[in-house]
Amino acid sequence: MRSNKVGWWLLAPTLVILGIFGILPFIYVLYLSFHQWNPFGANPNQVFIGANNFRRLVFDAEFLTAIWVTLKFAFFAVFSEIVIGYLLAQLFMREFPGKGFFRTIHTLPLIVAPIVVGSIWRLMTTPSVGIIPYYAKSLFGMDINIGRDAGTAFFFTVVMDIWHWTPLVTLTLLAALLSLPKDPFEQAQIDGASRAQIFWHITLPMIRPAILATVFIRLMDALRTVDEVWMLTGGGPGAATRYIGLHIWKVVFPKTDYGYGAAISVIVLYLTLVMCWMLYVGLVAPRNKGNS
Amino acid sequence: MRHGLRAGASALIIAMMAGAVPAWADFWSDAGAKLQGVTLHGVTESTPPSNYVKNVLAPQFTEKTGISVEIETTSWDQMYDKAIKDMEAGTGIYDMVYIEQDIIYAYLARNFLVDITKSLKDDPSIKSPDFDESNFTSFANYFKNADGDLFGLPMEAFIKVYLYRTDLFNDPEIQAAFKEKTGHDLKPATTHEEYTEIAEFFTEYGKEKGLDLWGTTAQAHTGHPASWYEFFESVAPTFGVYNWGINAADNYGATVEHGGQMNSDKAKAALKYWLHLRDIAPPESAASTWTEVASTFAAGRAAQGLVYGENAAWIATDPEQSRVVGNVGVALPPLEPGVLEDAESGKGYIGYYDGGAFGIPVTSKNKEAALLFLQYIGQDSVQGPWAVAGSRITNTATYDDPGVQELDKKLGGYFTMLRDDGKLFAGAPPYPFHAQVVQATNSTFYDILTGAIDPDAGLDKMAAQAEDELTNLGYRK
Amino acid sequence: MRPSNPWLNVLLWILLSFATLFPIYWLFVISVKPAVDLFTTPEIILRSLYWKNYVEVFNDPTLRRYMTNSLIISTGNALLCSVLAFMACYALSRFDLAGKENIFFWTITNRMAPAAVFLLPFFLLYTKVFAIGDFKLYDTRIGLILLYCTFNLPFAIWTLRPTIDGIPKELDEAATVDGCSTWQTIREVVWPLARPGMAVTFILIWVFAWNEFLLAATLTSFNARTITTGLSEYVTTTGTAWGKMAAISIFTLIPALIIFSMVQRSIVAGLTFGAVKE
Repeated sequence: MRSNKVGWWLLAPTLVILGIFGILPFIYVLYLSFHQWNPFGANPNQVFIGANNFRRLVFDAEFLTAIWVTLKFAFFAVFSEIVIGYLLAQLFMREFPGKGFFRTIHTLPLIVAPIVVGSIWRLMTTPSVGIIPYYAKSLFGMDINIGRDAGTAFFFTVVMDIWHWTPLVTLTLLAALLSLPKDPFEQAQIDGASRAQIFWHITLPMIRPAILATVFIRLMDALRTVDEVWMLTGGGPGAATRYIGLHIWKVVFPKTDYGYGAAISVIVLYLTLVMCWMLYVGLVAPRNKGNS
Repeated sequence: MRHGLRAGASALIIAMMAGAVPAWADFWSDAGAKLQGVTLHGVTESTPPSNYVKNVLAPQFTEKTGISVEIETTSWDQMYDKAIKDMEAGTGIYDMVYIEQDIIYAYLARNFLVDITKSLKDDPSIKSPDFDESNFTSFANYFKNADGDLFGLPMEAFIKVYLYRTDLFNDPEIQAAFKEKTGHDLKPATTHEEYTEIAEFFTEYGKEKGLDLWGTTAQAHTGHPASWYEFFESVAPTFGVYNWGINAADNYGATVEHGGQMNSDKAKAALKYWLHLRDIAPPESAASTWTEVASTFAAGRAAQGLVYGENAAWIATDPEQSRVVGNVGVALPPLEPGVLEDAESGKGYIGYYDGGAFGIPVTSKNKEAALLFLQYIGQDSVQGPWAVAGSRITNTATYDDPGVQELDKKLGGYFTMLRDDGKLFAGAPPYPFHAQVVQATNSTFYDILTGAIDPDAGLDKMAAQAEDELTNLGYRK
Repeated sequence: MRPSNPWLNVLLWILLSFATLFPIYWLFVISVKPAVDLFTTPEIILRSLYWKNYVEVFNDPTLRRYMTNSLIISTGNALLCSVLAFMACYALSRFDLAGKENIFFWTITNRMAPAAVFLLPFFLLYTKVFAIGDFKLYDTRIGLILLYCTFNLPFAIWTLRPTIDGIPKELDEAATVDGCSTWQTIREVVWPLARPGMAVTFILIWVFAWNEFLLAATLTSFNARTITTGLSEYVTTTGTAWGKMAAISIFTLIPALIIFSMVQRSIVAGLTFGAVKE
């Protein structure tokens, strides 16, 4: 039996790097969140104000709206991506010619930089002259105006996100599916189980950790989305697509309200943490405990 | 005999020139000799004028002085963020930073910048004989402090002008149709009613004839501050609402009750006027920032519009970017009665004077070298080709440059207008809280644009929000 | 697996590829049209190609430098994270370490916060704290490679753990009984079975590092600039140079595709090993 020392040594580099780059900055941000600090305020110094930033947040309508629309966005986007990604991964499990080629094509959206993804979709949806509104009008008589209609803008941010990130889900789930042993499936088929039964009782439980890991990652990233949505809508119309990442950006960059921005970040971090922890404890941990 | 005399005279002249030239070249190479091995770091945006500095002027400077120059070009947000972080933290990364005309006041309030005038006075050895602060246009005044000392070297300056399509305005059929419909002659508008009339006419005309033509542009993006800027910087002043309606002299009041004008009747009239224009502008206006407005006009989709000067240039001259080359006219924006007099007397202004300068952070580690560089690009002699490349003019002598005058004809007289009427325009108000107030009020502005709130109520709310933010920041007691 | 007509699958994939590729095709369209044409009636079939954007991009040595930096940083970071994550996952899976589930969860929290506010502490760290004499981690490639570990490493660990957990411990024990050391066990038994997972992890981290904008923009200035920050330069107050941005993006697809195809073979290799498992 190998001693745990080897295990700790293997884990050590990770802990060191994450400790320095993760913990230190976090402490600094936490510190800032208890201060009022705007380099262009009448008083440009850091002023300790206790929990006032957090108190202000509770009544900040813009902040609350941002949280709400972000949650909506994350829900729709992540859910769609998981479903579509799973179906595509299953398709990739089949044998057919040119599979490698299609797999490479399918991952292309991932390598386009977020700013460019936003730009492409922005140019495709520019009211009246973008290709989507143009053909929607001439073929279906629909008037798609992303600058005017909040629902349309929201819809396109979700579609854009799905286009951009589904390949990530597909690849991760594909790796998981590939590593599954064949026996249970063959056994089930011999026993005459239906496709639905195989899915619910065999496939799903076995790839549950992978699905959950993917949901986590996508959820976290969807909650932090900035660049793509920024290019596409700038947060508009109004505040319909001003997701929390964008909101923080506006507070920190043009407004230079560092203390308040830090407080918002701390709250968002806390909320994300709580959501993920609940998912984790409820669903993943019991499984892992079973394994070890 | 005469040959010998001529040869002798030539030799003498050559000798004199040879004697004179080193005297000029000496300053730069002398000054540079003491600073060998220094590398200057600058940060700016990637616009044509800045790129000219990076690609042409910086290498020239390096050749003359031996000081190398690295200019980082980055996006607008990033440029400010990094400059501010650098100056705030005192890390001395940048020796030159781009200062847009609206943030100079914030920087001055924090004493972030080196006093160029004073530094050159204190150390004459680095003052170039070719550099003189009086060479700059009035735009330089925006970068001076209360004592008249210069803190930023003007680098680019433009005015936001009223563009119109000369081909449409001079078309006899259209003129006749216009006269028939409205009873007036078709010419560039001088009042808001005229502008609206022309805009409505062209939108109708475009619809009737099935053309992709509307009567005006509108920078009405529902999520980007560009819309806020068009209203407060360009439209409201033409109705007599100056400096965003904030009264700095009266405890920074913005609402009418507190001495401000942000929600005054004039402002509300201005907003209604502009919203109506937005309604008859091309559909993409709801997603248009300054870029899209320029592209819309360049694609021939609008008969009139307020367009930033730096875009007016390529719209009028670049056939690869514009469909309306040669058909662009410039005019002063339409005004309410009394506004022109206010502008001429200095009490108000008629539009936006945009631009920026290069400044030296006090945290820079290479101030002398930076001062040399700024003087180099501030010289009259380098301005001509720079003006043609970037359509910007910061020195008064440049107006007379032949290349510039050539370009001016193609731009419908834009440079002439800049020279003669530039003083009627103004940059952003002297507010250190510029960005903060914009961000605090633009959400409501977007709500006005999407119809979520009635325009009058919206302005009332914005004025209150501005006051709240100013109180929060500590300016309003 | 259910048998199905392979050609039907190909047809299905051709259709799906349209959906994936259309925006990329549009990216190409943007790059070969002059800007003004983007604001007029759109045409799907291109009638004329305007190559100026590509010519300018091709001749620009700065962009080549940015591209090289991006390649180095992305590949470096992906390798570093993959190796460290493999070690960490192996440790978490095979050893009984105190509080390991909590550690596991803690790693992912580094990825949860929106980045904008964290720029300031990173900036200070890189310019003041990690500075020896004149050398700063600011504006260096190694600086970014290390920094990206903050979010890429947790991602790698989380993605890789199910794979490593899925490799039965009995195989390890069998190898130890046969006399293998830890290192040999890893190399002969665990690593081959983990390859598809590692390949996927490598690709995804590479992509994250490649696309990262905010930190790269703030913590580099001139020397270590990446292609993503280079792209953002084209978004200016005077206008956005859509065509140039698009041309550069098309260029950046190429090295990415090359790396992808190299790594994808590992995924395929994993298939055959999977079949060999009892």
